[in-house]
Amino acid sequence: VLNLHRQIPLTWVCLAKLMPHLGEQKRTAVSLFRKLTTTSNGEGLEELPLIGSKKHVQELKCRADLVHCLPEKQRLSVDGGPLTLEKVVCSLLHMGFSDAHINELLSIQPHASPQQLLDVISEFILLGVNPEPVYVALKKSPQLLKMPVGQIKKRSSYLRKLGLGEGKLKRVLHSCPEIFTMRQRDIDDVIQVLKEKCLFTMQQVTEILHRCPNVLQGNPSELEYKFQYAYFRMGIKHVDIVRTEFLKYSLTKIKQRHIYLERLGRYQTPDKKGQTQIANPLLKDILRVPEAEFLAKTACSSAEEFVVFKKLLAREEEEEPESSTSTEEEEEEEGEEEELC
Amino acid sequence: MTYSVQFEDLWPSIRVSLLSEQKYGALVNNFADWDCVSARLEQLNAKDFVSEAISHWELEAQSGHSAAPSPAYSPNLRCFTFARGDVSRFPPSRLGSLGVMDYYLMDAASLLPVLALGLHPGDTVLDLCAAPGGKTLALLQTLCCGNLAANDLSTSRTGRLQKVLQSYVPQDIREKNQVRVTSWDGRKWGELEGDTYDRVLVDVPCTTDRHSLYEEENNIFQRSRKKERQMLPMLQVQLLAAGLLATRPGGHVVYSTCSLSHLQNEYVVQGTIELLANQYSIRVQVEDLSHFRKLFMDTFCFFQSCQVGELVLPNLMANFGPMYFCKLHRLT
Repeated sequence: VLNLHRQIPLTWVCLAKLMPHLGEQKRTAVSLFRKLTTTSNGEGLEELPLIGSKKHVQELKCRADLVHCLPEKQRLSVDGGPLTLEKVVCSLLHMGFSDAHINELLSIQPHASPQQLLDVISEFILLGVNPEPVYVALKKSPQLLKMPVGQIKKRSSYLRKLGLGEGKLKRVLHSCPEIFTMRQRDIDDVIQVLKEKCLFTMQQVTEILHRCPNVLQGNPSELEYKFQYAYFRMGIKHVDIVRTEFLKYSLTKIKQRHIYLERLGRYQTPDKKGQTQIANPLLKDILRVPEAEFLAKTACSSAEEFVVFKKLLAREEEEEPESSTSTEEEEEEEGEEEELC
Repeated sequence: MTYSVQFEDLWPSIRVSLLSEQKYGALVNNFADWDCVSARLEQLNAKDFVSEAISHWELEAQSGHSAAPSPAYSPNLRCFTFARGDVSRFPPSRLGSLGVMDYYLMDAASLLPVLALGLHPGDTVLDLCAAPGGKTLALLQTLCCGNLAANDLSTSRTGRLQKVLQSYVPQDIREKNQVRVTSWDGRKWGELEGDTYDRVLVDVPCTTDRHSLYEEENNIFQRSRKKERQMLPMLQVQLLAAGLLATRPGGHVVYSTCSLSHLQNEYVVQGTIELLANQYSIRVQVEDLSHFRKLFMDTFCFFQSCQVGELVLPNLMANFGPMYFCKLHRLT
């Protein structure tokens, strides 16, 4: 039994959907929705005032009038009619979605059935993602709503096996919604690199997918290179690679900041025993902090010098890409005095 | 290698510059179609740092900001560089219509010792450690050399020097300037041609820090070459002493290195002055180059704490140097 209070938002959500088809005569209804906008990206959408129960009778009457006023065609055009829509909206409310969000979700894919919408959303909720993040993800990636439910179920089950259920999926879903639409093989390739090439444990792999979902978006050999850079070039252990979310940073940024520190003499690759002559800065002070802080606290250098360095490094990379293995073995070489002396 | 003690907080920014691509200057060949070459270089958005420095100084003098007279510097030198922070590269030099190359790419800081030497027209000049020839070429570009003697111990390197001179300087000029290239031991010059020259450049062999830092362990700084490194200042003193002995009384010498080490720089200068006083009773005075330094401080990054002489520090904004230079006046 639906409680009356709930009826009210239902009413104007339905009406909102039907609004475009109604004419001027429905101005009374219009006044109830004074702040409503329904652009598909949700811009300008503001919270609609909750209508007090005093007006309830007036609403119901209004609603009934409206339904009667609908041209025949439109009354049937919504799949299954307004009743199914109501059910869907109701379920979504129960799940905890706000009225505003529901309204928006419904207009993302106006040609998709509300049932489809509900099924897709339900899967995400079942995977432990909260309504707000689900809403955000769907708004960002509307193509998710078009997916066959069967595929979503299958992928969900796979992700659960990977350990990505129970709310861990939120970040992944937000930054990498393709985790549902991409080919199984592509996910497997990434996992294979992490497990077999980089030798992370399965638990670490889950943690990486959870915290650095972007690894699914790049290509696997670049991922491997990034790992090698961390492990060999910077001397960072597996545990720390996972803990500091190293793999989420772009290789460009990593190289810029690391090589800058190294050339400044502020970072040393640990030797075979894992030792350095100086205390290396913490990884978070290298990668996580914004550039201004990195320059002021970690590099102790100026912004203008870093700008020049980045240009020079980009050119070096273009002309002679750094190898991913540790710096070259010391070589015996006759020091020739240069032309420019 | 670490100069962190000597330079303290300045060392990291010097170090990163040494390990990054250095910046070049284009020394315009006055024996080519030089105003055309200059125009072309300007179109690339480069500027002649020498003329910029002079104009800036003249402007200051006119507006009454600077009371000091313009410091002495060798004339006719034109060297283009890109602005601070601009990492553009010059295209390679080409053969011009007059049959010689249009400009010579070099570390712009290398021009400073030649500028500081302050040549006057007709001077007899000695370049004691001339190879591979950038500074030698610059000496000829001043158009002040009545006589130029260019020497380097290594025959392979003097071979390179000859090639540079041939590519840049027309034969008649080389003959007119009586350019003489030799491969003798520079330390003997006091005996060979004592009290002869108006201006002497002693650009000694050094640890070439910029290149040594690239190959961290395999170079002059590694332990197995320690003796060689320790012997270097002694060699440098001997060369500077020879250069001073070859200068006529009243003449001038510039000592220069591309090292950051004060063991190769100030200590050598001070040591040699003492040596000449004690062993030869010759008085040599260091000339103050602080006004000269101010003239060029917009282009180069100078170390403020040299006891004697000046030191250009590499910096990412102006990745020239290292270049140490000190001007000496032989009084007696």
